[in-house]
Amino acid sequence: MFNFIAYPLANLMLLLYTYLGQSTVLALAVLTLLINLLMLPLTLTQQRSARKMQEIQPELEKLQKKYGKDKERLAQEQMKMYKEAGINPMGGCLPLLIQMPIWFGLIGAIRYSIPSTPLELFQFAPHIYKWLPGIVGIMPLQSTFLGMDLGQPPNSTQWWSYALPILVFVTSWLQQKLLTPPSTGDGQSQAEMMNQQMRIMMPLMFMFFTLQYATGLSIYFVLSSLVRIVQYYFAQRGQDGEKVEGRRRAGLKQAK
Amino acid sequence: MNRFLKRRWLALLGVLAALLLGVSGCAGGAARPTSWTGLTIVGQELYAADLEQIQVLKASDGAPVWSFPANPQEDSRGVFYATPAVDDEYVVVASQTPARGFFSQPANSVWALERDTGEELWEFEGAAGQYVEGGALGGGLFVIGNSDGNVYALDIESGALRWTFETDHRVWAVPLIISDTVYIGSMDRHFYALNLSNGDVRWDFEGEGAFTGTPALRDGTLYVGAFDDRLYALDANTGDKRWHFAGENWFWGSPAVYDEVIYAADVNGNVYAVDAETGEQIWLEALGEPVRAGPALSKDGSQLFVGSQDGTLHSLDTADGFVVWSREGEGQLLSTPAVSESVVYEALVFGPQRIRALHVDNGREIWAYPAAGEDEE
Repeated sequence: MFNFIAYPLANLMLLLYTYLGQSTVLALAVLTLLINLLMLPLTLTQQRSARKMQEIQPELEKLQKKYGKDKERLAQEQMKMYKEAGINPMGGCLPLLIQMPIWFGLIGAIRYSIPSTPLELFQFAPHIYKWLPGIVGIMPLQSTFLGMDLGQPPNSTQWWSYALPILVFVTSWLQQKLLTPPSTGDGQSQAEMMNQQMRIMMPLMFMFFTLQYATGLSIYFVLSSLVRIVQYYFAQRGQDGEKVEGRRRAGLKQAK
Repeated sequence: MNRFLKRRWLALLGVLAALLLGVSGCAGGAARPTSWTGLTIVGQELYAADLEQIQVLKASDGAPVWSFPANPQEDSRGVFYATPAVDDEYVVVASQTPARGFFSQPANSVWALERDTGEELWEFEGAAGQYVEGGALGGGLFVIGNSDGNVYALDIESGALRWTFETDHRVWAVPLIISDTVYIGSMDRHFYALNLSNGDVRWDFEGEGAFTGTPALRDGTLYVGAFDDRLYALDANTGDKRWHFAGENWFWGSPAVYDEVIYAADVNGNVYAVDAETGEQIWLEALGEPVRAGPALSKDGSQLFVGSQDGTLHSLDTADGFVVWSREGEGQLLSTPAVSESVVYEALVFGPQRIRALHVDNGREIWAYPAAGEDEE
């Protein structure tokens, strides 16, 4: 379904593998980093939008209480508030929609470049860009990493391969924890409960998912979560900087 | 606030579900193929790997002779992909039992069966990876490559491991055994000649891509294709390269040889006839559909049968490469057809019928297994 994205990305993976010392893990790391960099503007827009939305939530609730029965008026007032706060109501959703095919494509690319079944390898064969330099003959990639076959699911022969799904859980949990803003409420609200559930459910689902699939995918999930945690860290620093800057200006104004 | 977050939560859950389904390919039943099944004809019988069973059918009408295991629902032996190896006494097959539950792992076994009855003789469980293509019998041994990178030689009578040969990548090729030498390629880009009795390397040839096909032998020269888009002619005694022919994409399957011509297909669906002595192209026929397996020749060498991924079996005139007839089938054709005097047999995956017998002259269907309307599932 997302092969129109998966095939070019899988070819990019092959190219990276060729020029990064024929290391599958290194190629995977650079590919994940590149895609995340490419998506950075979208991710930041989405995060900013979510943050602003969070900030005006109390105001929105007030509006809901005030105009709860008059839906039309409520919508008008909400739009007004969004406009005043400089929020595009679709700002959180649209970047996600644009990103989804790329994430699916990337996962497809990993499955094609580190295939776990003969059929996956065969499906990719006619879609290798032979005109890319150094690409002829490099498939299937040398996919052994720390004694594990990156094309196979974790197994008890290489018992340490189970560390990867656990790492997937830990890193995605950390990412969820950082990226889901803490609730300002009393800790009992439905919203907060949902957030808490999400923080555990998503990483758990990722973990069970990676237990059944090739370890190459686990490495991608771990790298991806790490990249987002680092992104978050930098975004947070930028945000703190803005706040400091804001306070400094406010201070200057008062002094005048 | 609640409504907004609830919607967001639902949306995220939806996305997650889509992600899981999308990546898992919505895989359904346990026996959904992840590889291709193989078949071979020996004497009057057709031996086919048919996912949960090894089927032995009468070549003349497709009537079942025996199957192993007889009842896979109650007594499962895993999924069979690898083409059975058959001699006068034995049928040797390999299966993969998929992992059950999160912490189990697939089991990979070689089974030796009595040729006449299908009775189980021994099982070998020593390999860690999937068996993809099958093995070969010779000198009292069964030799097979595995995805764990090893070549295993098993005593045909007892199933005891005689020797292993380790390569640096998966071994998906069926070996060729000629007197006391095993010729086998690996995905480590090497093609090896091994001493049949102990697995010692006699010579090894390094290509620029993975070797997955069985070589064809003619007058002391081996012909084998590779994932570097080349078809190699190697001296069978020394491993020296005589020539190579460049195709458009990987040569995955095995070439076929007749008189002085080598026939091979690349995965783009180009079928080539190449002069065995010089490596010059005689003709090229582009089928336009991906082709995984190597071609098969009719007994008189006048026709070449090539199956393509779209389920079509093509019959080409070996003189000029023109398509004499083509017969569509439901599913995908990914393994080399088996050919008798007047019938060509094909194995389909992802289709309602898994084996079909077609007349070599015109592609007319003689029988199909399971027969139309027979509900095997």
